[in-house]
Amino acid sequence: MTMHKERITSLLAALDRHRIYVLLALVFAIMPFVAHGFGTVNNLTTVLKSSCLNATVAIGFTLVLICGELDLTIGATLTLGAMLTIGLQPHLGRPGSFAVAVAAGALVGLCNGLIVTKARVNSFIATLGSMTILQGILYIYSHGSSVSVTGPADFRLADFLEKPLVPLLTPRVLITVALVAFAQGVLTWTRPGRNFFLVGGNRETAWFSGINPARYVVGAFVVSGAGAAVGGALFGLSMCSATPNLGASCLMDVIAATIVGGTAMTGGKGSVLRSALAVLTFTAMFNGFNALGFPSELKILIAGLVLALVVIHEAAAARRHEKARGRRPMLMEELRRKAPPQERES
Amino acid sequence: MSERTTQFTRSLGGLFHRAGIFGAVVLILAIGALVSPKFLTAGNLLNTVDSVMLLGIVAVGVAFVTYSGHYADLSVPTTMAFSGVMAVEMLRFGFVPALLAGLATGLGIGLVNALMVGRLRVNPIIWTLAMSYLTMGVMRWLWSNQQIYPDVKGGDTGAGRLFTELYRHEVLSRIPLPMVILALFAVAGHYVLTRTAFGQQLKLVGSNPSMAAMTGVRMPRTVGLAFVLSALAASVGGILITSLSKVGAYYNGEGYDFDAVTAVVLGGVMLTGGRGSMLGVLGGVLMLGLMSNILTLLGVDTFAQRIVKGAVFLAVVGVSSLLARRMGRDDA
Repeated sequence: MTMHKERITSLLAALDRHRIYVLLALVFAIMPFVAHGFGTVNNLTTVLKSSCLNATVAIGFTLVLICGELDLTIGATLTLGAMLTIGLQPHLGRPGSFAVAVAAGALVGLCNGLIVTKARVNSFIATLGSMTILQGILYIYSHGSSVSVTGPADFRLADFLEKPLVPLLTPRVLITVALVAFAQGVLTWTRPGRNFFLVGGNRETAWFSGINPARYVVGAFVVSGAGAAVGGALFGLSMCSATPNLGASCLMDVIAATIVGGTAMTGGKGSVLRSALAVLTFTAMFNGFNALGFPSELKILIAGLVLALVVIHEAAAARRHEKARGRRPMLMEELRRKAPPQERES
Repeated sequence: MSERTTQFTRSLGGLFHRAGIFGAVVLILAIGALVSPKFLTAGNLLNTVDSVMLLGIVAVGVAFVTYSGHYADLSVPTTMAFSGVMAVEMLRFGFVPALLAGLATGLGIGLVNALMVGRLRVNPIIWTLAMSYLTMGVMRWLWSNQQIYPDVKGGDTGAGRLFTELYRHEVLSRIPLPMVILALFAVAGHYVLTRTAFGQQLKLVGSNPSMAAMTGVRMPRTVGLAFVLSALAASVGGILITSLSKVGAYYNGEGYDFDAVTAVVLGGVMLTGGRGSMLGVLGGVLMLGLMSNILTLLGVDTFAQRIVKGAVFLAVVGVSSLLARRMGRDDA
């Protein structure tokens, strides 16, 4: 009897650990049957193409979350990347403007990282401040309207980036896949990569084992800024225009995807690959909903709902875990509830 | 660091904390007078106060959350919008039911936040962010991205007109209603923080949560109440902003989360929790208003003002946490 129960528990735990693969499989198994036109090669190419932006942004964001911090600037940074790539093209050419955009993203990340580690401001608060500053800069740069390629436009690169080389895979998708694979490889198989997990899991232990945690936190923020800028820049190169609110919904989508993908909000645990797959799952789901004729406002609601549910689930799991380890943060509450009535405070 | 510089930073820190925000307000008044002759006129100063009354009301609520060591309530803007939209929607049943519906909306959102952050101890930033997207989604979906108008929803009952005149209503035909509400909130907030058991427990929770839990403070209830107060203040602010703009829409209250935290932090409530005062928060609100007034007089547009606001916010947060550590008061 107990054996049976244990087996079920461990099965459920395994399902939870690998939930993103299950969800991905479910979405791609169900959607072709309910949503008309979901399963066509054309539509699947669209799904892959539209996951690129958030998947690239999710790489750095996951890294920051693994370090136990949060980067709220990603949306603004990716818009910055897209705008600089497009806006500077007439002056610097494509490679130059791309490089400047990525450097600007990295600079934003560096500032965030230094504020968090040197001034020891909590990362939510620090990035909330820098996000406001960035948004102001973006609006001034673009005068509040969209920026597009001016002068004799050359759309050959944009066409190349968006056209499938082999069925399903456009160059932009391939670049994104390569970036995700590279990041995942570094995190899994190299020593500095593993150190990020140690820094996020227990900063003190990391310090004692000879790692400089501040350096890794700054590094994570720089990667996050540069990654967001790369995502935005690639998007800008293939779309040839960018609006100031390009990244507005990105923050929520990426946070939701990263956490659904199994990265712990408390740090020390996570995977870039799973975040990217979660982005793909979300994109495919919303694509299917569109085909089903759901209004687009519902997307915000569902993304919020999914995030809320996963956050609740994680919190409950964390509490069970603490209890199992013998730590009981709510001990006083428990005792009070069990105490006889006359002992209660009046 | 040498003895003298330590002493210097310590006394500077002490000064920063004691004179606090009102020293800064006097300073900025002086700067303003230098910048423009139009600045130190009764009309201009009254306008400034008028422009930050709503922010003050919201900030008093957010101050409780920050004081409890939970940084900020990012669901403030959508709580404001949702309360306003609900109030307008319920105008068909009359003026008072509409106000009650608005407050009930805030209370509901606050209770959910309280349950999640207080009892389940979810990360407050991620949770309130999720909550803001949830309520935003609900609003945009149910009202299909439309704005709703009090005079239409109120019908012939006259409730619509009462609602739109709410913000401009003057108590004793002199003092604007939002001013009265702000004063009441500030006094009540000050009283609750300093003179009640809840206030003392909140201070303990903010400065040392594990100690608070050990001494028997009911953490879920104490932290939860802070979030409920924040949501209630936001819903009052939301009803008033809807009355002012004469339209119920999902984007009402945008940016109030950041502004409120900025005011609260400017006012000397530490982000690490457990330190600060309501008087300081009022000072912070006033400071923000004066700052944007001066920038406007200087001809700086709203977007550039955003940059200045963000920079001031980061500078204040950074300097205050730095000074607190120099004084050995904090290990954040």
